Parts: sequence; C-alpha cells; structure tokens
Amino acid sequence: MYPMLTFLSMFYYFCLRRRARSGTRGEIMNSRRAIESNNRILPLSVEVVQYAKEVVDFSSQYGSENSLSYTMWNLSGLPNVYPSSGDFTQTAVFRTYGRWWESCPSSPLRFRRAPRSFRSQEYVELVFEEAVYPTAIDVLETYHPGAIVRILACSANPYSQTPPSDIRWETLWAGDPAKVNISQARQFTPCIKQLNFMTNLIRLELNSSLLDYYTELDAVLLHGVRERLRSLHKPSMLDLDDYDKDDHSLEFFTGRFTGMTLPEYTKNGYFETLPYELIQLILSHLTVPDLCQLAQTCKLLHQHCYDPLQYVQLSLQPYWTGLDDTSLEHLQSRCAHVQCLNLSWTGNRGSISMQGFSRFMQVCGFELVRLELACCHFLNETCLEVIAQMCPNLQELNLSSCDKLNTRAFCHIAKISGLRRLVVYRTKIEQTALLSILNFCLELQHLSLGSCVMVDDYDLVASVIGAKCKKLRSLDLWRCKNITENGIAAIVSGCRLLEELDLGWCPTLQSSTGCFIKLARKLPNLRKIFLTANRSVCDTDIEELATNCPHLFHVDILGTRMVSPGALRKLLQFCKELCLLDVSFCSQIDSRVVQELSANFPNVSIKKSYTQ
Amino acid sequence: MFSILSYGRLVARAVLGGLSQTDSRDYSLVTASCGFGKDFRKGILKKGMCYGDDACFIARHRSADVLGVADGVGGWRDYGVDPSQFSGTLMRTCERLVREGRFVPTNPVGILTASYCELLQNKVPLLGSSTACLVVLDRSSHQLHTANLGDSGFLVVRGGEVVHRSDEQQHYFNTPFQLSIAPPEAEGVVLSDSPDAADSTSIDVQLGDIILTATDGLFDNMPDYMILQELKKLKVFL
Repeated sequence: MYPMLTFLSMFYYFCLRRRARSGTRGEIMNSRRAIESNNRILPLSVEVVQYAKEVVDFSSQYGSENSLSYTMWNLSGLPNVYPSSGDFTQTAVFRTYGRWWESCPSSPLRFRRAPRSFRSQEYVELVFEEAVYPTAIDVLETYHPGAIVRILACSANPYSQTPPSDIRWETLWAGDPAKVNISQARQFTPCIKQLNFMTNLIRLELNSSLLDYYTELDAVLLHGVRERLRSLHKPSMLDLDDYDKDDHSLEFFTGRFTGMTLPEYTKNGYFETLPYELIQLILSHLTVPDLCQLAQTCKLLHQHCYDPLQYVQLSLQPYWTGLDDTSLEHLQSRCAHVQCLNLSWTGNRGSISMQGFSRFMQVCGFELVRLELACCHFLNETCLEVIAQMCPNLQELNLSSCDKLNTRAFCHIAKISGLRRLVVYRTKIEQTALLSILNFCLELQHLSLGSCVMVDDYDLVASVIGAKCKKLRSLDLWRCKNITENGIAAIVSGCRLLEELDLGWCPTLQSSTGCFIKLARKLPNLRKIFLTANRSVCDTDIEELATNCPHLFHVDILGTRMVSPGALRKLLQFCKELCLLDVSFCSQIDSRVVQELSANFPNVSIKKSYTQ
Repeated sequence: MFSILSYGRLVARAVLGGLSQTDSRDYSLVTASCGFGKDFRKGILKKGMCYGDDACFIARHRSADVLGVADGVGGWRDYGVDPSQFSGTLMRTCERLVREGRFVPTNPVGILTASYCELLQNKVPLLGSSTACLVVLDRSSHQLHTANLGDSGFLVVRGGEVVHRSDEQQHYFNTPFQLSIAPPEAEGVVLSDSPDAADSTSIDVQLGDIILTATDGLFDNMPDYMILQELKKLKVFL
C-alpha cells in the first residue's frame, strides 16, 4: 500500500507541477498543439470585412453613363436592396443577358478554339480600401442570380503611389454559369483559394447566358486578414483546384524555350507518314497554349505548331491575365497571316504598351479582317493610327467600352474604307469623327453607337446614316439621347436593308409623330426592334409592326402604359418567328395576361420583370 | 393640406474648452421630422418618411447635412395616379445622391436636377408631380444653401425671431411651381417646371439657429407667431 501511495502522490505531484508550468487548461491545449505543429503559437489574426470602395472598370452596364440607376456605381458601398429581390434601380446591371444578342443574325461569329474553362462574357473590377489576404468573398445577388463564373484578385494596389513592377492576377474561384431556381436574392460565397499576396483589387467575371433575365448585383464583401494565416492543417496541393493551370501554360507564350535546340535524332515513327494537311487539321483543335506546349516536343511538331495557318483565327482574350508585350513579340513570327484577332480585355495596367501593340500590328496587320479590342485601355491615338495604316483589309473593328480613348483617335477609323462592322459602344467618339467615318466607310453593315454620350446631334448623324450607309443591316442607337422623328425618318428611308434597330431609352421619340408607324411600313425586313422605356409606344404602333414586319423575332417595349393585350395578341399572331417579347413594366399587361399569351404562343419567351 | 415639421439645431461637436461664436469646427444638424396625412382613417403605413402625399428626407455626408421636403400634387389622384409615388421617389433619390456624395454643397439645385433626371431613368413609368424644398448645411463654411421650387419652404429662426424665410413660387392660385412627369398624351398640357426654375439662396447661420422646412400644410394653417411659440419650447444646448 505504501508504494502505491507514494506512487500516487508522486504522480499527483507531477501533474500539479505540469499544470503550474503550463497555466490554465487553455494553455495546455495550445502547448500540445504547438508540439504537434512544430510552430510557434501565432496570435489570432483579426478578420477585416470591407465593402467595395470603388468600381474601377467594367465591360458594360444597363444604365446611363453618370446615372445612379442600374449602373456599376451601385456595386460599391453598402447594399441598397438585399435581402429584397426584384428589378431595382439601385443595383448593378450589365447590358445583356441570355443568348438573345448572340442569336441575332448581325452578331459576329464566335472564335474557334476557345478553352472550355473560359466562359466569361462580362467583368467588373472593384477596389477595396485596405489590402488583405482574402479569406472569403460574398457577392449579394438580388435578381436572377447565378451568373458569376470567375473571381480573380490582383497583386497591384491601385491606391499606391508607386506603380507596381510585377502585376499578377490569380483566380480565387472559377465555376460554371448556373441558373438558380430560387427567385429570391442570395448571398454567393464560393470557396476561394488562399493567396500568398495581399490584394485590394477584385475582379468578377460573369456569364449570364443561362439566365431568364438581367442579373443584378447589389454589393460585394471582402473578408480578409492582415497577416497570412499559417494553417495548422496543411491541405495537400492536390486538394485545391488549380484554377490557373491554363494560365501556367502562358509561360510558353513568352518563349522561354525558344533558345533550346531540339535534339536531331528524334524520329516520329509512323506519325511522320501522315500528310501535312492532316496533321494541321488535328492540331487545329488544340487551344493556343496547348499548341505552344506541343511545339516543344519535337522538330516536326515544332514546325507544325509554328505554321502560320494555325493562327489565322487567334483569340487571346481567355489569356488576358498573362498576355503582355513579350507574348505578342513571341507570337509575331507565327501571325503573319492572321485574319481574325481577339485582343479584348488584354493589356490593361501596363502589360501591353503602345509600342508592343504597334510592332505586332506592323507584322500581322496586313491580312487582318476582324479585330476585337473591347475594353483595351492601353489603346491610344497612335494605336488607332497604326491600325488604320497597317490593316488595309480590315472589315470588323470592335472598340466597345474603350472609354479611355480620346476623341481624336476615332478620326483615323475613317481611313478604313472597307469597314463593315464598327462597335463604339460606350466610347467618347465625337460627332465630327463619327460623321467622317460615315462619309468614308460606305460598306458599313453593322454599327453600334450605344451610349456614345459625346455625340451632340443624333438627328444629324441619323440623316448621314440614311444618306450614306445604304448597306446597313443592324443599327444600335441605345440611349442616343436626342434623336427625334426626323432622324428616324432619315434612317428608315435610306437604309432599306435594315433588319435590327435598337432604340432603347431614347426618350425624345414620340409615337404621336407617327415615327414608329413610318418605321414599320418602311422596314419590311425588320427582325429586331427595341423600343425600351419609350413611354409613348401605343397599340397602333404594335399593330403596324404586326402587319408590316412579319419577320420580327426580338421585340422590347418595356415601360409603356399604352399597349393593351389585344395589340400584343395581334403581334404574336402575325409574327410567327417571334421568340423574345419584353413587356416588363407595361401597366396594362399583368401577369395573368402574360400567362395566357405564353400558353397560346409557347415558342415566344415573354418577359415580365418586377420590382416587388 | 399636409404638413411636415422638420427642424434642425446647430450644435458644435466635441467642445473641450468653451465655444465662441466664430468656432472653426464643423457644424452639424440635430434633426427630427414629423407629419400627418389628410386622411387619418386610412392608416396606410407608408415606407420611409412619407406622410400622405408629402415626403421628406434627412441625409448626412462628410461635407454637408441635407434636409428636404416635397409636396405631391393631389390632382393626379383624379387620373388614377398615386401622388405620393413621385414625391416619395424624388426625396429618396435625393437622399441617395447625398449619401453617396454625388452633389456639391453650394449647389442644391444640382441635387434637385440630378434627382429629377434619375426619376426618368427608372424602368417603372413614374407619373405625378411635386414641389420641392432642399436645404444644405455646408459644414465647414457654416452656410446654408437652399433651393425651393413651389410653395413648400423653410424658415430660419434665431433668438425667437424669423431671420430668413423662403418665397413661394406660384403660377396661379393653388398651382405652385412643380417638377412633373406626365404621360405622353398629356405632354403639353401638364404643368412641368424645370428644376432650374428653383429659387436658390445662401445664408450664414450661427450655432443655435433653428431651421424649419415644411410643405404648405404647415404654413397655410399656422401663423408665424404660433410656429415661433412651439419652437420656443425647444431647449437650445450650447
């Protein structure tokens, strides 16, 4: 018994000593954890939660420039609508949704060889006050959620005084576009990757092709910590989805391996006996980074992969995160015969310079037929001058949302006399440049002047369009603030081939002048007519469209009080090809009417938005 | 007539060692609002600061405090339009503009113009009209910038006396100047004044001043001496 007692008391003594050394129970846990993880104990980092301070860039918006309604401005700051859901003015809305715009006959062909992982159609960039290591991102979606497909973070701080030397974009999360069945607002909080740099610049990329109507975003929250969490449980690298694996292959763009000499003795076996054209056909299914990687395997494939015929259609938009002057230089040798080039979204924040772009154009511009430069903020007047000089065969030019381009730059476009498609949506093009383009580019078939706020007199522009653009097939005059019935009369008299006309949010058009009746009577080939938010559209106008334009397939008459169900019924009966009809906020058309019409005309998608 | 009482007091912040009249600190407003619709029986609970057909707002920003009232024109009811929709949306939009900082304190007419333009950007086809009266307290310059369109108005009371009042703007009896959005068929017929027609003034204010903005429901029913009597009951803390 005594040895037992002694043993017990010694045991007890040791426990007490141990406790005294380690303090409370809590600390015991810590010290055990410390032993397990082999690290020092770190203080718990405080989580910082921020709303966006400012929206710095975006690809499009529904609302008017400088307005508070339906514009990207609403994405910064506190939420205004959440948790309510509905179509409210205080949310951020993009210009398009669904596949309607893609399915128009005027829409440009898609680039082949797009990597399946790149699904983004729109983007918005937000800056937060303080740079943190992100731990979570919440996006408050208040209407038709599900459009977000990618979230990225940038290492550059837009508020810092010194320009950063090396700008990196990392994908925090990527996913497929979804169509969420719940109609309520939701907070979207995907599981994001851990970053090893601090960031206060977040980019959301969206694809709303599956959605029934415009998606609307209210606010974005960034949760982060000031000190990097050293996780106690190290997740294995295989657990995390590597969203940037496509981007890693961008290193091949920069030609790190061009210096290597490939060994002479490699033989390709039976592969060599295949005809040249067949190998080219096989390779034409590979995406560009794969082509670059394949080129490093052997001399034969190097020759094939560098064949300029593989680069006739080149879309570099999916690789915007890594594309820079060096990449362009490396691609130059292969791109002498490029005909369709997509550089949309690339080159921002200094990655492509004017010199780099000009050099590329000098080598590769001669056979260029189609050039996409949407949201390319590196462009300046000299770049456009180079394009005009070096691309004599250019037919399609997209400068959508190049809002940093100064007005004089547009004058050079008039030199491209073979131009068939011009998109200057949301640019600062002025009247003089526009008029000179209209006077010299007589082959224009597709013209987009949406939200061009610097043009003063749209009636004058319209009269020149009517006089000169006889081949015009589609015209986008969205938010052209002061066009009147005179302008419409000029357009419909002159452009008899017109099939698509967007007159959304043009408040100065009055139905009482008969302009819509004239429009319907003079444009029998009309397929798309948008009269969004024109409060004067009435039954007579709808009936004239019904009788005179049997090929209509997209119609938007949002927000008029004067159209009755009877007129709509006539429109639906006469226009057998109709597939989109937007009657949101039309006071005489309630949901019962919409239900009845949808039942009788099941091929037509009748849209009725609500605010609740 | 509908009435809204909205009074503000000027109080300096964080006083440490007494206060002089020429205090260089930022001024701010201590605010309250109240109102009654004509029809007590209806008991419709309107969202936000809507009383009957009238609406008001109080908004604060780093550079200024802003008060506003709008009197919805009741005649629209005969045409099936709810008059409070226009005035309410106008005031809520002004509040948003101020909160987001999209205004210049010295230009209250600019706030009205911007707010009116925003109403036209709404997908919902708004109809109706209202008067509007806005007062902006410029915190650092200690000035009150005002804009008044129609027969609403404001009073500045100092030491128990009215030191400043706004002027009424009327076309003819019971037809004040008004901002309006008309249906397209009535475009030329409906009275619609431009926001630029608003009267604009700038007044120096002092600590302890009481600023009252109200629609004609107050001014038509209570003579000055009664209003001053009520305001005397407010204790002014300096």
